[in-house]
Amino acid sequence: MQEAENIELYDRRWTLDYPELGTGPVSIEPYLSQEYFDRERDTIFRRSWLNVGREEQIPAAGDYFVQEIPNCGVSILIVRGNDGVIRGFHNVCAHRMNKLVWTNDGSCQTFSCKFHGWSYDNSGQLRGVPDEETFFDLNKKERGLSPVAVDIWQGFIFLNLDPNPEETLLEYLGEMGDRLAEFPFKDMTACYAYRGELKANWKLGVSAFNEVYHVAFVHPSSGNSFRDKDNMFGRPLWAKLDKRHHTLSILGNPDFKMTPVEAVAGSHTPQVSQGGVGSGRGSNPSGAKDWSLDINVIFPNFFVDVASGWYFTYNFWPLAPDRTFYEMKNYYAPPRNASERFSHEYSRALLRDILHEDLHMMEQTQAGVASAAGTARRNILLGDSEVCVRHHMKVVNDHVGRTD
Amino acid sequence: MQLPQPFSKLEPFVEQWSLGTERERNNIRITSTMEEIQEFYDAMLSQIHDALTYLDSFPLDDMPEDAQKLFNLTLSLAEVSNCVERFGEPAVPNGFDSARFTPFSPYGPIP
Repeated sequence: MQEAENIELYDRRWTLDYPELGTGPVSIEPYLSQEYFDRERDTIFRRSWLNVGREEQIPAAGDYFVQEIPNCGVSILIVRGNDGVIRGFHNVCAHRMNKLVWTNDGSCQTFSCKFHGWSYDNSGQLRGVPDEETFFDLNKKERGLSPVAVDIWQGFIFLNLDPNPEETLLEYLGEMGDRLAEFPFKDMTACYAYRGELKANWKLGVSAFNEVYHVAFVHPSSGNSFRDKDNMFGRPLWAKLDKRHHTLSILGNPDFKMTPVEAVAGSHTPQVSQGGVGSGRGSNPSGAKDWSLDINVIFPNFFVDVASGWYFTYNFWPLAPDRTFYEMKNYYAPPRNASERFSHEYSRALLRDILHEDLHMMEQTQAGVASAAGTARRNILLGDSEVCVRHHMKVVNDHVGRTD
Repeated sequence: MQLPQPFSKLEPFVEQWSLGTERERNNIRITSTMEEIQEFYDAMLSQIHDALTYLDSFPLDDMPEDAQKLFNLTLSLAEVSNCVERFGEPAVPNGFDSARFTPFSPYGPIP
């Protein structure tokens, strides 16, 4: 009976629920064009809420980290003040615009510029100006660090480079914020992270992780828990496209037989190949049977993929039309003993190996797209299982076309 | 320092596989032969339950030296198991260059 319901789901064509998406070919220009890349910078990255980390990274007063937004050419200092508030500032001294903080992270009460020693407290106020009386009309109160809009949702720190963001973070997240509201992110603070530079457009990165159609081919042995006899090629269990963000619920094969070491790991902590435990608590919003995880994409460049008892995030930072800086963070409840730490290490290695398959594929796709640019066929085809790829490309394109 | 007595059969694997960081474990994995990996995997799998039960009696971040050595072996088992159970070769087939995708710890190291 339940199985019949899933088979019915597989006959749905989710794309058709969103007529504005269309069903036609999609241009490859956005993966290649410098002009398009520049428009993305101005219309998306300078105006959207961008995830830059989690508040656990800076738990104590004075703790800070620096986030570069490479395609915008900006460096942002995120710091927790002595009042406990997390703020963001352009990482620039207000005197001669020297880059203020040169380390990636740390903790301090006073940030001193290495050029002429101007100093700022951890709430951004200008405190010290050497030989101050030689300056004309200097009002220290008005010459603090330049603030950047920062807000926090579920422990995730976001910033917005727009001096007057069009929406609050919560408004920006919209229904996505509601869907994930109850996920226990705060309990999962053991983080295993990887990063690297990819020779691919940032949207190819987003697209590669935005569907399950590829899994049977890119992950023939590492991803075989994500299919069963009724769904071999990654048809969605559920898809919900918001104005900008989207959620894709995917299948976990309930009859999947774990490998020997995986079974040891799985007896201590949840594993990639284990299905979820039903809906609720911010995951599997449709309550689909045999659910394994939800792919959640928060526009433009942030994934929050939630499973049962663990989650992972991706951040894609555009560097050039064919280069991207990519970070993956895999989160679990802190390990209480050797068995749990061993089990995390198993999950970490498997997820990393799976990503090795995806990242290599991504670079081959960029090479293919670049090669196709010289041909008459300059577009891609997207099936219904790739509805989220189509959605992301459409939302990007709508932003790039904005004239305001 | 020898491994704890019940695990002395694993002693021959210590030099190659008892490694303290993910980078060291991944590097030895992708530079070892499948024969070496299989031999290590088989030996470890036969004692993994006992090893973890033994190790669970110590605080994760403050193990005696011999236990830590054993623990590092179990982490190497986690690292190599995909070679045996999924890929049939040391590195990920059609995979990314490991040296280009590196671990980092946004919230400090995990023991």
